Amino acid sequence: MANLQVEICGVKFKNPVIAASGTFGFGREYNLLYDISVLGGVSTKGTTIEPRQGNPVPRIAEGSSVILNAVGLQNPGVEHFIKEDLPFLRKKGTVVIANVAGKTLEDYGEICARLDGLADMVELNISCPNVHAGGMALGIRPENICEVTKISKKGLSKTPLIVKLSPNVESISTNARAAEDGGADCISLINTLTGMVIDIERRKPIIANNTGGVSGAGIKPIAVRMVYEASHAVKIPVIGMGGITSGEDAIEFMMAGARAVQVGTANFSNGNAMPEIISGIDSWLDRHNIKDVNEIVNTLTLN
Amino acid sequence: MKDLLATVKSNKRIAENIYMITLTLPESVGAMHGGQFVNLSTGNGANLLRRPLGVCIADGNDLSVCYQVKGNGTKYLSTVESGRKLQVLLPLGNWFDLDGYKNVAVIGGGVGIFPLIATIRENCSEKNFYSYIGFRNAGAVCLEEELKKSKKLTITTDDGSYGIKGNAVSAYLDDFESVAADVIIACGPPVMLKVLKRKLSEAGIKIPCYVSLEERMGCGLGACLVCVCKNSDGENVRVCRDGPVFDINEVQL
Repeated sequence: MANLQVEICGVKFKNPVIAASGTFGFGREYNLLYDISVLGGVSTKGTTIEPRQGNPVPRIAEGSSVILNAVGLQNPGVEHFIKEDLPFLRKKGTVVIANVAGKTLEDYGEICARLDGLADMVELNISCPNVHAGGMALGIRPENICEVTKISKKGLSKTPLIVKLSPNVESISTNARAAEDGGADCISLINTLTGMVIDIERRKPIIANNTGGVSGAGIKPIAVRMVYEASHAVKIPVIGMGGITSGEDAIEFMMAGARAVQVGTANFSNGNAMPEIISGIDSWLDRHNIKDVNEIVNTLTLN
Repeated sequence: MKDLLATVKSNKRIAENIYMITLTLPESVGAMHGGQFVNLSTGNGANLLRRPLGVCIADGNDLSVCYQVKGNGTKYLSTVESGRKLQVLLPLGNWFDLDGYKNVAVIGGGVGIFPLIATIRENCSEKNFYSYIGFRNAGAVCLEEELKKSKKLTITTDDGSYGIKGNAVSAYLDDFESVAADVIIACGPPVMLKVLKRKLSEAGIKIPCYVSLEERMGCGLGACLVCVCKNSDGENVRVCRDGPVFDINEVQL
């Protein structure tokens, strides 16, 4: 049994496996399947200031080794989250990362200020369409990333800020640096890639929103490459995600430079995916006689 | 609710494009009721999503569910042989709760019949079922021996190649007075449920009616908010967790 505890921005995680935002709700449902206090952390369903209804259905489709989703940030709003959902998660003794999104820059500042000192960390979703960027996501251009990070950071005096980076960009290194320059304490990546699946009989996209975010095992090589590039571009810690299904996958991301990982789509294929990934990391470390998971971070040597 | 590795006992074609797969569960998951569903892996690693399939026949640790071969996931599933292990999350969702009812009208269509069969099997010793089941044609008719556990069974086909030519909703409404049901349960294509809702309302029929809905799902347990529908107040409800069975008047079809 190796040490699995990791520390990011002063926050202690019992292991480096965190539920990815959007796949895990606020933890209540998976807690019926297993005690979610075994998890390193939970990044909550993306929360906005006002409640949102989200997109029409279908909201999900499948490709080979990937899925696409377009839920559209359905959530009960930040006040409901603070009152009804946060207390449950806090009681579980797992790190609570409040994932937040906004329509305007000001929304980000406001929601961060509201959550300061309440969640263990705040994670910015900057991949949703934003008024400030003319309907484009704030997470595409480095200047927008820097600006949204700055305004969010202003609202946070106690809680560390994670900026979740979109992969739909020109240079992930530039964008990672933009988040760091804006004052991010940590970055996480990758959010989903934008894709489309067509029902050729109807000649229409399967998802009502037409496009959706691609995730799952099939995107893992892209995610590993981006985590590697981003973690070498910044000094702040990196949380990696994208298609992690096994302990070995998590190890791969950590070798590429991630200090912890998030798991999303794998929960859909296997309800017990995260507990199994945690024990998978542990047994890999044991097999390699490594006493501490932190020892594998950023140990990749290039050919 | 458990996530288990079940062993495939059999997997056989029961009608045109329709298969029944019987799984042996490694442990008990407690009672499973008609209307509840399971989230079953297709067995193909490239299909990351499991398929939500209504409980059809639950017999000890053996569970049979049925599926229509539609895309490459169900196509692969239809090739899975006995002895293979498949991951399955179960039991999920609510069910047709018939407590306090005696005479039950059952309206089903196509692949919607399977949760209704589970409900009939579960309750037929104490309750009277009057079943109106619609199929596309004779080739689609399946599990008739199970449906016959109803006190009265009427089968309709769109083309008249089996049973009565017509549809299940009209066939029931024709018999409405003589059946005198105190509750209606229904599952079938969205268009069937829509017509049912409209016709019940037009005829001023007030007896309770419960419908089981279908939607593309992610997690199957209520976390991901993928499979929503609108309730009568226009708010989202989760088909997988708040349903799949809803009062027909409390959900938008």
